[in-house]
Amino acid sequence: MKKYFAVFQINLLNTLAYPAELVTRSGMILIFMWVFFQLWRVTFAASGSNSLNGLTLHDTIWYLLLAETLELGRPRVSRTISDQVKDGSIAYLLNKPYQFLLYELNNGLGESLPRMAMLFVVGGALVWVMAGPPPNLLNWPLAILALAGAWLLHFCTGALIGLAAFVAEEVSPFEWIYQKFVFILGGMLIPIDFYPGWLQAIARILPFSYMMYGPARLFVEPNLQLFIQILLGQAIWLLVLGGSLGLAFSRGMRRLAINGG
Amino acid sequence: MPAILVTNLTKTFRTKHKAAGLGASFRSLFRPEYSPVEAVRGLSFEMEAGELLGFIGPNGAGKSTTIKILTGILFPSSGEVSVLGYVPWKQRRKLAYSIGTVFGQRPQLWYHLPAIDTFTLFGKIYELDDREARKRIAYLSEAFEIADLLETPVRKLSLGQRMRCEVAASLLHKPKLLLLDEPSIGLDVVAKQNIRDAIREMARQENVGVLLTSHDAGDLEALCKRVIIINHGQIVYQDKVSTLKRSFLTSKLVEVRYAEQIPLNFCIPGTETLKVGKERYGAKLRFDTRRTPVERVMADISAAGTLVDITVSDPPLEEVIAMIYQTARRPDMAGQG
Repeated sequence: MKKYFAVFQINLLNTLAYPAELVTRSGMILIFMWVFFQLWRVTFAASGSNSLNGLTLHDTIWYLLLAETLELGRPRVSRTISDQVKDGSIAYLLNKPYQFLLYELNNGLGESLPRMAMLFVVGGALVWVMAGPPPNLLNWPLAILALAGAWLLHFCTGALIGLAAFVAEEVSPFEWIYQKFVFILGGMLIPIDFYPGWLQAIARILPFSYMMYGPARLFVEPNLQLFIQILLGQAIWLLVLGGSLGLAFSRGMRRLAINGG
Repeated sequence: MPAILVTNLTKTFRTKHKAAGLGASFRSLFRPEYSPVEAVRGLSFEMEAGELLGFIGPNGAGKSTTIKILTGILFPSSGEVSVLGYVPWKQRRKLAYSIGTVFGQRPQLWYHLPAIDTFTLFGKIYELDDREARKRIAYLSEAFEIADLLETPVRKLSLGQRMRCEVAASLLHKPKLLLLDEPSIGLDVVAKQNIRDAIREMARQENVGVLLTSHDAGDLEALCKRVIIINHGQIVYQDKVSTLKRSFLTSKLVEVRYAEQIPLNFCIPGTETLKVGKERYGAKLRFDTRRTPVERVMADISAAGTLVDITVSDPPLEEVIAMIYQTARRPDMAGQG
């Protein structure tokens, strides 16, 4: 495992090599959170109630902060892998003594962790000022565990899309579709609790809610039953997506045609 | 046991193609048409342990495809390959511990970080212990004269400096076989010489076999004992480099530039004038070293005017291959492939 930790370490260094880029990217969350706060403030005011489907304005905004942190900070693994396939640099990654997918996972983690930390701190500061202090520290461990599961689900889906470059010339449409599903059925723009019952039922079956809604919801309202339900959902989808990823990789290797001679 | 044994290797790619125009683009969405491209066609060769083998040919000849099959990255369409006793595409990761690779057009060093970070990473990836890795890095730094470069972000290195670091990184785990794909591409004359010297010296000291692909005849003259020339995925020649030089690399191209104008019918005895420059300050000549001694040509060129610049080069490999084709029927000149 030492070699994979070294991969994580080097991409962490690489990401920290450009602190200005890291800070600028984190600045984006300020705009998003400000817009979200204005929208939900008006919505809650119009409803005339402090709580909608169990969530207060404070909960909603902190929920959205965690969701945005994950969305903006998750590694763009589909683009990374599809670029490696397209420009031929995958040749270098495949002829080393490691598991390619584990390499990419640790590579993604090295890029993602500092970004997510920075996004959370910068965005969290604004949300604190606008909506009040963060949820109780006791809520955090469950949310962090679910966040790890969500991150892995994002990784598997992104890597599957990236590996599609073995057969498709352009994978960005797949990434676009996946992102939109996460936005809507993952509860990134609106918490799933606010959806009509039938749409909630659909969202809870699909993997997207486990990629976004799960950790964000646990962050604002820890609930052991919900935690178990989310972890179980994540485990099932990790088996499905992880298995598909392994299969796609071994099949993709047979079809690989390194570009550029 | 040979380090590399290749028997009847073929690799066919499928290339999607479509006619021009919107209609054709639309049709290809539903009924894409593919045509096979044979990159490697029935290749067979051997390479002994510790041998320096040149694998050369023009662009698109199938050199890189072969090297990628030898490293296990690409699956062949048919044929058998053994590299250090491994079947590369089946035992890719085991093989990786014993081979080093450099693809001249694909950097493996982390671009924004100092090269030492990539060296440290490779030490971990190849499971060297920290002390051993540090010792090896120090040794390679000296051999490739990169000690002063290791702390500089790779993006700030010149191409020549970067390539020295690239090759040194590929030797970190003491491979038994080094596969170099165009290691000198894009380098200037001095940088090429430096990298060739360092590779030759390392191969001698550590008995590393080197398989080198290039489309520069100078690489194989400087580094290799034996050469395989490949074109359109097939071997067109294989023999000792000395034989190749004697038979085919006998002509030299000379480009000269003078301080004053030269006559339109500029001529140096024993050479053929290929071109006189538009403004009549320079000329391009060719001569056969078997018939005209190099010293005599140089002396005559110097005597013809005030020389400002001179470049002597080998004929392009394409020309050498054309010559090989022309003489392929003559049993005394033809290669064994």
